[in-house]
Amino acid sequence: MNIDQILFCVMGFVALTSALLVAISNNLVRSLFMFFVTLFALAGLYVFALADFVAVTQVVIYVGGVLVLMLFAFMLSNKEVLNNLQQSNSKFISVGKLPAVLVAVLFAIVLINAILKAAPDTLQWVKASAQSNNIIKPTDNTINNIGINLMTRYLLPFEIISVLLMMTLIGAAHLARKEEHKL
Amino acid sequence: MEAAIPYTTNENIALLALLAVLLPLVAGIGNALFLPKQSKLSAWVSTIAILISLALAVDVFARVWSQHTASIHLQYLWFTIGQTQIVAGVWLNNLSVLMLLLVCIIALPVHIYSMAYMKGDERYTRYFAYLSLFCFAMLGLVIVDNLILVYLFWELVGFASYLLIGFWFTRDKAVQANKKAFIMNRIGDVGLMIAIGIIYAMFHTFDLDLLFGRGNLAAQSHIQSGLWTTIGHYTINALGVPIASSSAGQLPAYCYYIMCAGIILAVAAKSAQFPLHTWLPDAMEGPTSVSALIHAATMVAAGIFLLGRVYPMFTPDVLTIIAAIGCFTAFMAATIALTQNDLKRILAYSTISQLGFMVMGMGVGAYSSSLFHLATHAFFKCLLFLSAGVIIHEMSHLKHKHHLDIDPQSILHMGGLRKLMPVTFITCSIAALALIGFPLTSGYLSKDGILIQAFEWSQDKSWAYIIIPIGALLTSLLTTFYIARLIFKVFFGQSRLRHIDANIEPEAHEGDWRLSVPMVMLAACSLFPLFSFNPLEYKHAWLVNGLGGVLDLESSYHILVPVVINGVGLLVIYLAYAVYVKQNVHWLKQKGLLFNLSFNQWYIDTFYNGVIVKLVLFIGKVLYWFDQHILDGFVNALAAIGIALSKVSAWFDRYIIDGILHLITDIVKQAGNFIRGFQTGRVQNYLFTMLFIILVVYVLKTFI
Amino acid sequence: MITLSNFLLIGAGLFCIGIYIILSKRNAIQILIGIELIINSAILNLVAFGKYDKVNNAGQAFALFGIVLAAAAVAVALAIILNVYRQYKTIDPSKVEKLKG
Repeated sequence: MNIDQILFCVMGFVALTSALLVAISNNLVRSLFMFFVTLFALAGLYVFALADFVAVTQVVIYVGGVLVLMLFAFMLSNKEVLNNLQQSNSKFISVGKLPAVLVAVLFAIVLINAILKAAPDTLQWVKASAQSNNIIKPTDNTINNIGINLMTRYLLPFEIISVLLMMTLIGAAHLARKEEHKL
Repeated sequence: MEAAIPYTTNENIALLALLAVLLPLVAGIGNALFLPKQSKLSAWVSTIAILISLALAVDVFARVWSQHTASIHLQYLWFTIGQTQIVAGVWLNNLSVLMLLLVCIIALPVHIYSMAYMKGDERYTRYFAYLSLFCFAMLGLVIVDNLILVYLFWELVGFASYLLIGFWFTRDKAVQANKKAFIMNRIGDVGLMIAIGIIYAMFHTFDLDLLFGRGNLAAQSHIQSGLWTTIGHYTINALGVPIASSSAGQLPAYCYYIMCAGIILAVAAKSAQFPLHTWLPDAMEGPTSVSALIHAATMVAAGIFLLGRVYPMFTPDVLTIIAAIGCFTAFMAATIALTQNDLKRILAYSTISQLGFMVMGMGVGAYSSSLFHLATHAFFKCLLFLSAGVIIHEMSHLKHKHHLDIDPQSILHMGGLRKLMPVTFITCSIAALALIGFPLTSGYLSKDGILIQAFEWSQDKSWAYIIIPIGALLTSLLTTFYIARLIFKVFFGQSRLRHIDANIEPEAHEGDWRLSVPMVMLAACSLFPLFSFNPLEYKHAWLVNGLGGVLDLESSYHILVPVVINGVGLLVIYLAYAVYVKQNVHWLKQKGLLFNLSFNQWYIDTFYNGVIVKLVLFIGKVLYWFDQHILDGFVNALAAIGIALSKVSAWFDRYIIDGILHLITDIVKQAGNFIRGFQTGRVQNYLFTMLFIILVVYVLKTFI
Repeated sequence: MITLSNFLLIGAGLFCIGIYIILSKRNAIQILIGIELIINSAILNLVAFGKYDKVNNAGQAFALFGIVLAAAAVAVALAIILNVYRQYKTIDPSKVEKLKG
């Protein structure tokens, strides 16, 4: 057992556990903060997948942006909204959640089954790329690679993504504006 | 009998007779349909119709009447059933034209009398319509040649009598009387129908000429060793070709006796013989002119006419029975008439008695004398009734004027009318003398004819047969007494109204000319010159000779009988005078068994009412109970079963058939509700459904 | 060795947990968290496969794009939740069931 394997297991365990806690807790604040932990654990897992830039981006944007946005949206709401948000089903195990549990468990079984059957390590292109040395090494400069690819190969998706962001901005701003009282 | 002048062919004469019959019918229908209720014109229509009929009857009579037995027979084919052809038509022999003339001659004065008698009645027009209907029916009866038509007119005459007896139908007594008359006549009609049926079964023809006239089939049939046989006969069909219409027939002998019984029953019902005589006294509820025409002269004579028609059919045994019935009826009626107080009832019983005479005459073989008596009786009895009508009219005037509570028809209150109503007195007396059979009247000729022939008939037979002529003799004496009583009580003495109220001045006067002239005319006809130039010998009467004449037996009865009758009759008249006018003979009591028997009409009416009527009503009640409870109960039970079945069916329909429908709709509704439950509107549910389906698809694809 | 299937398994686990959260939570923001979790598991998948593609580096590039999309989705979703709250006065999705504008 290498240290990285152990670390990987720990990261994975933390990610899954915090995700579970997110799922279990009824309190919104608690689930938000558990999500916070999940995101960090995921970033760690990205590092293990040799995607360091993605990990950092994840931390910066996701945690620092999205999660903060959700926290702000929650915190800066009115008292009635807070009260409304706080009120939720206090039971832990309830029958209403059974279908969801069922579907989730079945999905899990199906996916795990598929993954194990597919044996991704033995895929053709995976093996081919492993043999042709197309594999990312830990010593590679991924930022360079990503930058060049973004500007050349993936320019179109890049531009579209920016347009999308603009649309989102305008749309969200419009949706959330204060209603003028129309007579 | 072809004549040189074309319009007097046989066919034309028959058509004239037919016209004489149809004219009153036209008048009657015209009165009934076109004239208002109280129109004087109706009387003139009827009277003129009967006058023209009389003229035609005289014409026909003159042409057909002869001393021989020729006759005119006009026939048409009426209908055909299978192989049988029934012909109908007119048969004019001496008897037919005599009756035709007689009915017209009697009907004319009655019409004229009715014009004045029924004046002011509120159903004047209807009276004359009925009267014309009756004349049509009676005239039709005498000229038809076919037993079916005889039956038809027989019933029609009975029906007209019913209408006229109950003319004042607002009176309960009149309604009871006409019901009684009709029912008793119907009993006779049943007998006649059975007789006609048997005659047809035997002879296969309805034709009177063939049966009793020239063909003489009836006389040629005989009874032998329990069988009634006849020879076959030919009929002449429409082309004049003789065809055999029956072969020799044979029936058991009892059929003959049943047929005779049927005929006798019909005669007894129509001519008021015992035991079906009780309707005639009650029929006096009708107007007096009706009584005069129908119940004295013509309709009741229809029975005698029928006997005359079928006379060749009878064997001597049956004739003896007929004579016995007639004699008994005559005697019984005469005894009853002795004590009655109602003027019209006395005359009604007198009619029954005289009809009994005629029936007895037929029975003893005095065929022509009997019909002669029918003719003379018609005149004087009609006259008696008409004068009774005038008297009753005057009595009711007195009743209204002095506000008395008397019966205007009762002779107990009359008296002394001789001086007040002379014409009525004289005509009524002439009629009474004719009824008694006094010499110089027509009644003498006819009644003595019957009596003499009755004695001659009985002289060859065993001693028991003498009872009949002796009975007839006694009846004649009783007749003398009661009619003398009537004349003396009504016309002689003082008015008995004074016994009620001493201050009454009885006033009476003759009616107008329409009441008097017919009576005078009939009185003239009641005397001998009309019938014979010899007032003492009935054999020379032209009527008797025309109807077959009599055997010229010179027995001592020819002298004995008239002398005895008239001599004792004079004594009886004097006795009546002494009892009722002088009132110094009092040994005729008004109490005792004989008086009660006579006064209550021999209790026959009581017997009928108590026994037969009650029995019939009881049977009616039983049948009614049966009909209501059993027949209707059966029908109701069926209805109840139907209703129960329908209830079962309704239950079935509601719960099972509708239930299936409801079940289907409920299933659909539940299915719809169930499926609608998926449309919750919640996003999470939709997502769940989606994922679930994906899982299912994956699982199915992987493992199946 | 950390095999590819390890990453994929973790990703599958996260995905299922996300599914569970979406289906069973009564709070719209918690559902939003669930959606984020699912997107994150997808990004993990991309990154895990991206290790074997150095030339195109498609895995990591598209992972970046995925993060951007997730952020956009959150923004718009929050705006929608705000509107829903204004209309229905609740953000419980099981109460938002009527189609009223």
